[in-house]
Amino acid sequence: MAGIQLERLTKVFGATRAVDGIDLTIPDGEFVVLVGPSGCGKTTTLNMIAGLEAPTAGDIWIGAARVTDWEPGERSLGMVFQSLALFPHMTVFENIAFPLRIKRVAAEEIARRVRTVSDTVHVGHLLGKRPATLSGGEAQRVALARTLVVQPTVFLMDEPLSSLDAKLRVEMRTELKRLHAALRSTFVYVTHDQAEAMTMADRIVVMHQGQIQQVGRPLEIYGDPANRFVAGFFGVPAMNFVEGELRPETNGARFVAQALGATLPGHSIVAGPASLGIRPEHVRLADGRESWPATVSLIEPLGDETLVFLDYGGPASLVAKVDAEEKLAVGDRRSFTLRLDRVLLFDGTTGGRIMG
Amino acid sequence: MTAAGTPAAADGLRRWLERERVFKWVPFVPVQGLFALLLLPNFLLLVYLSLLSWRITRGAWWSSAFTGLDAFQRALEDTRFLWALGRTFAFAAAAVPLELLLGFGLALLCRRSFHGRRFYTSVFLLPMMIVPAVVGYDLSMLLIDQGPFNQLLSLLTGRTITVRWLSEYTPAQLAVIGADVWQWTALAFLVFTSGLAGLPEEPIRAARVMGASRWQIFWHVELPLLKPVIAIAVILRSMEALKIFDYPMLLTQAGPGNATETVAVYLWRVGWEFARVSDAAAMSLILLVAVALYSLVAIRILRRERQRLAEEGAA
Amino acid sequence: MRRRGRWLFPVVRHALLLAWTAVTLFPIYWMLMTSFKHAGEWVTWPPRWFPHEPTLVNYVKVLTPGTSTFELGRQTLKILKPIGDSLIVSGFGALLAVVLGSALAYSWARFGTGGRSYPYNILSIRMVPPIVIAVPFVVYFVTLRLLDTYTGLILVYVATCLPYVIWMMLAFVEEVPVELERAARLMGASRFRVLRSVVLPLTASGLVVTFLFVFILNWSELLLAMTLTNTEVSTIPIQLNKFQSANEGRDYGPQAAIGTIATLPVIVLGFVIQKHLLRGFSFGLLRK
Repeated sequence: MAGIQLERLTKVFGATRAVDGIDLTIPDGEFVVLVGPSGCGKTTTLNMIAGLEAPTAGDIWIGAARVTDWEPGERSLGMVFQSLALFPHMTVFENIAFPLRIKRVAAEEIARRVRTVSDTVHVGHLLGKRPATLSGGEAQRVALARTLVVQPTVFLMDEPLSSLDAKLRVEMRTELKRLHAALRSTFVYVTHDQAEAMTMADRIVVMHQGQIQQVGRPLEIYGDPANRFVAGFFGVPAMNFVEGELRPETNGARFVAQALGATLPGHSIVAGPASLGIRPEHVRLADGRESWPATVSLIEPLGDETLVFLDYGGPASLVAKVDAEEKLAVGDRRSFTLRLDRVLLFDGTTGGRIMG
Repeated sequence: MTAAGTPAAADGLRRWLERERVFKWVPFVPVQGLFALLLLPNFLLLVYLSLLSWRITRGAWWSSAFTGLDAFQRALEDTRFLWALGRTFAFAAAAVPLELLLGFGLALLCRRSFHGRRFYTSVFLLPMMIVPAVVGYDLSMLLIDQGPFNQLLSLLTGRTITVRWLSEYTPAQLAVIGADVWQWTALAFLVFTSGLAGLPEEPIRAARVMGASRWQIFWHVELPLLKPVIAIAVILRSMEALKIFDYPMLLTQAGPGNATETVAVYLWRVGWEFARVSDAAAMSLILLVAVALYSLVAIRILRRERQRLAEEGAA
Repeated sequence: MRRRGRWLFPVVRHALLLAWTAVTLFPIYWMLMTSFKHAGEWVTWPPRWFPHEPTLVNYVKVLTPGTSTFELGRQTLKILKPIGDSLIVSGFGALLAVVLGSALAYSWARFGTGGRSYPYNILSIRMVPPIVIAVPFVVYFVTLRLLDTYTGLILVYVATCLPYVIWMMLAFVEEVPVELERAARLMGASRFRVLRSVVLPLTASGLVVTFLFVFILNWSELLLAMTLTNTEVSTIPIQLNKFQSANEGRDYGPQAAIGTIATLPVIVLGFVIQKHLLRGFSFGLLRK
């Protein structure tokens, strides 16, 4: 059982800084998800923790040991790869047994442990088959079993579910969480899918362009994003953004945009360009003290809710998430309000969150 | 699609060709025709000739008397022929594994990128491109008693070496094998380089994370995955190695004595120098049977590996 | 647990690679040098690593028109005509083989014509030692009056390299996604149009590689050329074999010149197709 610590970890490829001096502490037993768009550095970071890539600078600690120079095999890790990396020429049994064979464990011991582990993940009936004959879900479990059989201190996973179809993915997510609860080992999980990050993580580490944007619990990340990137990355459909300007007023500030103006109470802020962010579920179709007129331009029914695209005169439509019972048609003229207590402001130049 | 004024006949012909059932046979007709006109009568002629006892000096072949299996009997009793046959297989058995091992070793060394890799790869592929006859001639020049090769050996060992490569029994055989190895290690290098490059990366990484040593990864993961490549290399090279003709001809003229007389050379002599065409025909057929057995096995292995690769690739 | 010092391995690697480089380059170097030596320097003890008086005499001798002769213990080798003959025979042989073979490869890849085993059956042609077909071919050609003609040799070369063409082009054709052809046909293109506008451009590099490979194959071929030609047609490898059995008066210089002339274009071509050779040579057994 061990926690992980990354200290000023950097990886440079030629002229690109794939990972730019990140610091991170992962407590023992936590399920941490590294999430971000492609190229953000999350896989490179994972590979450095695994020892598959050597850092250009910085240090990695697993437990109390400084493993920066250690070979991958010395770090006592279990890793599941995106392609699963099952050995195609070996049977399922041989695949799972392989890590034990390398360490020259006795044959009976190997057989026992392989059987135990394969029962845990329900692949006991597949032991004689070859990877090519397995379904996506079965192959997943075999890859898991192969990591479990050596009882590693830390589990690393590089987008393991991305090759599965949607239904299977949801099932496997639950299984992984159950596994984590049972083992209580440290899990480091990499994905580009924000929904996966939200459902699985104890804590989320959001990365972008080699740097950590924010670390926090899922609801923190969702409700209290540190910058515009994090706010826009999480949430489906994405947060609405309106570009405009902040002007300080006597008791608060006024946000002014092309077709929108709102007084935001309790914000003592410096004037300047800013973005206003509001999530679709916080846009209401109603009249109110501050409401604006709009025309419905598109309706997307989701079943339990409906997405409504509102043309209000600004450069882009606002998306509102409304109850499915609402009777709407394209071309309707409706008013909408914003839940001002849920409005988020971001600096127009840096993208950082403006608190107030 | 059709221009106004195109004659109806050409149009009709085109339409007819477009039909899949016709279209797909279009290339086959000339090819099969070529084979039918060239190879089939050829083979029949071979069989027929072997049933005569014809020499070129005895007039036209179609008026030569039928003597049945006499030529075959003579062939099987011809120790020189049997020796040549055995010698050819022995040469292949010596040369092919050697060049495969060398080629594999070189491919392994050149696997990761490093300074000068491109230079080495280009150089190593050179010998493959050279006309075999030139190789044979070239080495015959190098290997003369007072030649540069002996001098190099003398330099390296500090003693004066004058091995008579071209005029003594075993050295001559080594020279022929050496020529084959020199030229065709390059092909093994080519095939193995591409095979190594095509190995899937993630199973190897997984093995590294599991703590497998380099040797364990090589033996348990990479080598099994390379089986199809090894199969191609062995099949390709052994197919060609059994035919060697150019090296013995140019290096040693199949000498000294018959030391390097491969079966191809001997048959050529029987047919052209001794003009015993029927005997040559009979021996050719025997050779064909020997090679055919070998090739059938080889092709079957090729098919099986191709199949296995398709299965594994689905993983 | 530090990573082991990695300095030793590169040194050993370079040593081994340099050793084989020396082995590879030495014969080529020697032939090149000999071609520039005049007769006195051919066989010396100790051998001269570099001609003391480099000369172009060998090349001049060899490239002036005339036929190779052997008289009074003296050989004269001429390769002007043989160069032409080799070009004709190799070039047309390769061209015809590529045209026929790629069409066939396409047909098999898309329609399975000839049956699933067809490529394997074709490969078995290649397994036959040429000497086996040489014997009857001579008789056959004499009867057909094709002996010692360009046509005869070209036809034989086409037949012998078709297997390679088919296998190589198969690899290249299979890389073209069928969907592209289907899309074109849906747009109204005829099959021939699809070949011309979709398949041909996408396999162009493959065609070039295959052509060059087969050209090299034909260019280097000795046995069939020897048996099926006499005076009218004479390829370069044949010239090298002439007079090899002579024990005195071997013309090392001119022969080295011939060797160099024969080899240089092939080396250049070989360089060009090196990278692409891998794809074609895989027999469908190399993972992408």
